[in-house]
Amino acid sequence: MRRLLTICAAACLGAVCAAQDLHGPTSSTAGEEAAISTTGSGKATFYLLGPGVSRKSDISLGSEVHLQAQDLQNAGEYFAVLCSDTCRSSSFYVTAAKPASLTFLVHPSRVPVGQGDAVSGVAFPFDQFRNLVLTPATVNFQLMAGTASLSSRSAQTRDGIAWFRTASQKSAGTLQVDASLGDLSARRAVQQVASDPCNLRIKGERTKAGILVQTEPVRDCAGNPVPDGTIVTFTATEANGRSTVDAPIKQGVARAQLEAPGATVISVASGVAMGNELRIGAQP
Amino acid sequence: MSRIVMIFALLLASSLSSYGADSAVRVELDSTKASPRSVESLTEQVILRDYRFAWMSVAQAVEFNTLDPLEGAFTGEAKQWLSQSVTNQQRSGLSQRYADQNHKVQAVFYAPEGDVMELHDTAEYQLQIFDGGKLIHEEHVVVHYVVLMTPAADRWVIRHLQAVPQF
Repeated sequence: MRRLLTICAAACLGAVCAAQDLHGPTSSTAGEEAAISTTGSGKATFYLLGPGVSRKSDISLGSEVHLQAQDLQNAGEYFAVLCSDTCRSSSFYVTAAKPASLTFLVHPSRVPVGQGDAVSGVAFPFDQFRNLVLTPATVNFQLMAGTASLSSRSAQTRDGIAWFRTASQKSAGTLQVDASLGDLSARRAVQQVASDPCNLRIKGERTKAGILVQTEPVRDCAGNPVPDGTIVTFTATEANGRSTVDAPIKQGVARAQLEAPGATVISVASGVAMGNELRIGAQP
Repeated sequence: MSRIVMIFALLLASSLSSYGADSAVRVELDSTKASPRSVESLTEQVILRDYRFAWMSVAQAVEFNTLDPLEGAFTGEAKQWLSQSVTNQQRSGLSQRYADQNHKVQAVFYAPEGDVMELHDTAEYQLQIFDGGKLIHEEHVVVHYVVLMTPAADRWVIRHLQAVPQF
């Protein structure tokens, strides 16, 4: 009798198991419709949980549950749960669709010329639903000055990222950096500015108010004009003391008025660059 | 007197509960393979702290169906879909519990300028799905997440969080 009951119980459990089950897709692509098939008969509650999705609906067992494209826009893992007397579940992954946009970060926005590994860029391909596209793809990076191409290189995305690093050019001006992947492209600009001043030269003369001193046009070692606003320091050394004046470069030249009645030696510096010394005699 | 005891018990339960949520998220971070920039020690500590905090926030948000925990720890697409999840859970009456979280995280990319980091997280946790108060699904899950984190004013935030079948 006990054996008969056991057999009956096992048969009933088997019947329940066979009565209700679900089979989801093994994988799906973001933004594409999918279907989950169910077995059994009667009513059940269907749940779908995934990134950005949480929905519940009543269904008839044995029918197919249609998953709309809008339910599967976010890449990630989804759980489908089917409950009547008991609950059954299935999970599947949605992967990113094809690249639809390229996020491109370039640094810095302003860089001195002639610096090694000073400019870098990182590109991320995203699909139309802003999922990161992890399938390897080739991104082309192109550096341009105006319409002239300076260099280009290709990089394969790895884990959804492609990047490059390069030196800044020798001439000041705008450096255009393009990233492209198939039909997609993104453009960023880096302003290349003169590096530190080089070969500072000054000239000066005594006036009624003191000594008027000024630099020759200030340039870096590659001949690029140093930007206005860069500080130039003039130092006047007399027998009885020393005075210092900081002056910004205006229209390429820095000027200062120094009060030094005695014989004076004037020196100039900007950043780490030193210039020539100027000797001015005492006021008559 | 009984009211005081009750209040005390509630406070104690609340503090134990918050301690439990806090201690139930374990994160290990390996940043030795990050490139092209190496991860500074201080940055590693901050990432560890902020990543752990972010997962505590996710757990609270999806369990109690509240958006508040997502403020601060997330931004961009990650914040958008997590918020959608919570909002839809509120509508459908569902909730999820991520219990005993264990994250083995590897930093695989750190941008030359230090403005973005990609992490690979192999996360294990006990997933429970509730309809109202009724448990409808429970499973020990192992999920692989690709994560993009970016620095904000005083912390690192998760900008992108995407589960993948494998790395």
